[in-house]
Amino acid sequence: MTSTPNAAALAGITVLDVAGPLGNYCGKLFADLGARVILVEPPEGAPTRHLEPRIAGRNDPDSSLTFQYQNTNKESIALDLDTAAGQEIFRKLASQASLVIESEQPGVMARRGLDFAALSKLNASLTLTSITAFGQSGPFSHWLATDLTAMGMGGMMYLAGYPDTAPMVACGEQAVGAANVFAGVASMAAVYDAEAGNPGQHVDVSMQECVVLGMENAVQFYDLEGTIRKRNAGTQRLAGTGVFECRDGYIYLMAGGVGSNKFWAVTTDWLVAEGVAGAEQFREPCWLDQAFLVTEEAKQRFGAIFTPFARSLTKSELHAKGRERRIPLAPISDTRDISQSPQREYRGYFVDVKDAQGATLRMPGAPYKLSETPWALRKRAPRLGEHTQEVLAWAGFTQDQQQALRQQGAVQ
Amino acid sequence: MRSLLAGVRVIDFSWIGAGSYTTKILADLGADVIKIESSQRLDTLRVTKPFKDGKPGVNRSGYFADRNSSKRSITLNVKDPRGLDMAKRLIADAHLVTNNFTPGVMDKLGLGYDAVRSLSERIVYASMSMQGAEGPEKADLGYGLTIAALTGLQHMTGLPDREPAGTGTNYPDHIPNPGHTAFAILAALRHQRRTGRGQYIDLAQMEPTLAFIGPSLMNYLVNGVIDSRHGNARPGHAPSGVYPCAGDDRWIAIEVCDDAQWEKLATVLGLAAQADWATMQGRLRQREAIDAEVAKRTATHDMSALMRTLQDAGVPAGAVYDARDVVNDPQLEARGHWVSLDHPEMGPSTYNSPPYRFSHAHSEPSSPAPLLGQHTAEICRDLLGLDDATIEKLSAEGVLA
Repeated sequence: MTSTPNAAALAGITVLDVAGPLGNYCGKLFADLGARVILVEPPEGAPTRHLEPRIAGRNDPDSSLTFQYQNTNKESIALDLDTAAGQEIFRKLASQASLVIESEQPGVMARRGLDFAALSKLNASLTLTSITAFGQSGPFSHWLATDLTAMGMGGMMYLAGYPDTAPMVACGEQAVGAANVFAGVASMAAVYDAEAGNPGQHVDVSMQECVVLGMENAVQFYDLEGTIRKRNAGTQRLAGTGVFECRDGYIYLMAGGVGSNKFWAVTTDWLVAEGVAGAEQFREPCWLDQAFLVTEEAKQRFGAIFTPFARSLTKSELHAKGRERRIPLAPISDTRDISQSPQREYRGYFVDVKDAQGATLRMPGAPYKLSETPWALRKRAPRLGEHTQEVLAWAGFTQDQQQALRQQGAVQ
Repeated sequence: MRSLLAGVRVIDFSWIGAGSYTTKILADLGADVIKIESSQRLDTLRVTKPFKDGKPGVNRSGYFADRNSSKRSITLNVKDPRGLDMAKRLIADAHLVTNNFTPGVMDKLGLGYDAVRSLSERIVYASMSMQGAEGPEKADLGYGLTIAALTGLQHMTGLPDREPAGTGTNYPDHIPNPGHTAFAILAALRHQRRTGRGQYIDLAQMEPTLAFIGPSLMNYLVNGVIDSRHGNARPGHAPSGVYPCAGDDRWIAIEVCDDAQWEKLATVLGLAAQADWATMQGRLRQREAIDAEVAKRTATHDMSALMRTLQDAGVPAGAVYDARDVVNDPQLEARGHWVSLDHPEMGPSTYNSPPYRFSHAHSEPSSPAPLLGQHTAEICRDLLGLDDATIEKLSAEGVLA
């Protein structure tokens, strides 16, 4: 084959990204690596157009930051999938696409005549990915869920938070994010296979099941040792591992390391070199015993020695000292700290795009750098129905037909 | 039923968390993932709890096992020139090389991207370092927990008046980083098949994690607003939160998204109707008072029974499951999420399946985690064409160790 340097990795793949309740980050993964992604919006716009936070002082359908972020590089068609004409248009589009992504409750696409059975008859190589809270079948498949309830039923929430309060949900809708990124992986694998001449797949993604994968080793503790792992925020996970207050905030220190004591000795050397009173005792052999590190006594002794020292320094001073000695010690950063990171600046991580009204929006850019087929921001998120005409023309509708569809209200 | 990545071979230098989880995704999809191990420098997770029956051993960690299903293991000393040569021969025939070392480690071994590309024009080479291949912080080391601290996940999770809580786990290792890396790898494999060209994937584990809090970052970058912790309350929805149930440390998450759901919740819990609680705006104004009333009533209910009653009434509610609950959940069971694989040393043990099902392809893990070096001889024989005598000699001389 001839080589095409710098072609987009996903050039030639067309995706229909149905704007549903679980957002459109999965479609963004495809769009940002060069697939043609058509956001199929209901007449009132994608649900994420109505989410907070918005661009300050605005309330229009292009002002949601979530919408702007999740829909870069996409086209938009406003299409009413609950009308016969809208469904017919969708079938035409699907017959020319590689992938459909949707997140409606199970059964909704079937009622519209747009389920896998119907669409694969029109296009045998089509992959249809359904992202739902619980999956397409099973006793809870018709249940309602939000990010909050899915984090509960997926077991991550129980591991998070303070022992003396309710468990805590992670920020940023991680259940929704997890469902979208795993849907991206599964969809990409199915498209990869279909492009080799195999039939397409119905890909069934469960948000609850995605969250379960974030339980670390808790299920294995239950399976192998019969113990239930609990939450421990506000305490040290092991002596020397946890959140510590410092002069201007907090740091996370992992002197216990992962499964080994290799960071204990370097941390001790550091504290002794700093002249921290009492740090010499960390050279006693008991501190190399994990069974001792989990005790309250060990945590209290470590805290009594380390915390006064940590409180005398800022998080960035502590970070620099940890870096010098290769100790896993990180400042607990907020979004301003992150935006000022010299490393992100060096990598050009944040990118700027102008929204439809000309406002400059800075947002996270490439999550990965591909040397031959780089991630690229080619265009801003679309206005509602901005590309309806082009998309209908691509699907083979004449000007007159398009006019008729608009008059019926099937498209905007 | 076929496997979607059958025929794809991966030479896998990754270890511990995010790297091994990434290649588990590929292995469970049917790729032949060959994990390059060393008995001199063990994958730390092999010696990390929990162990089968609480007894430590390099082949007994459940933490390791779950992240390494469907893979093969070869012990190979790449610091010996003969071992390095064997690694290069394996790479020359493979589609993908993976690692999650700090930048420079693979170069020192003689297996950096330039060296590997000279062996194979089509190779995809994925590196997952903490901060990326270049830049002022490239040498930083990190773990999931420190990445969570640096990316705002820790700062923005928990109660406003308490110290940051975070997820309590190495979360970036489990979902954001493996998910994004696997996606990028699959895209690069597609490009490889179309063009015959490989490429270098430079992933900084900070960056997919930041991608998962995009709107909060934009709230600062666009509006100058620094998001902080707000407990379990969801913006715009009241009541929303985590409420106590009967029993020891039992909780239920409830999120009322509209007024109709509120009416149903009030009926199920027998909440006295207050006129100004009928609208979302009214409830948002009195969030704390309503939370207290809801909590008072949920506290007498069994969490699973209340979840079912609320779901039957059409209210989004989810019990806060612990590890035993997820293993016994009827929905995960109906999906076949938990699979029992018979490990040669650990016996039948529980593994996660991937969170997706395909209508016409396998998705579940095909085999338990490998013993340390379990497949050394078969890989040497089948892929490197070595005879038994040579394999024995290389083992005795510490090359296959």
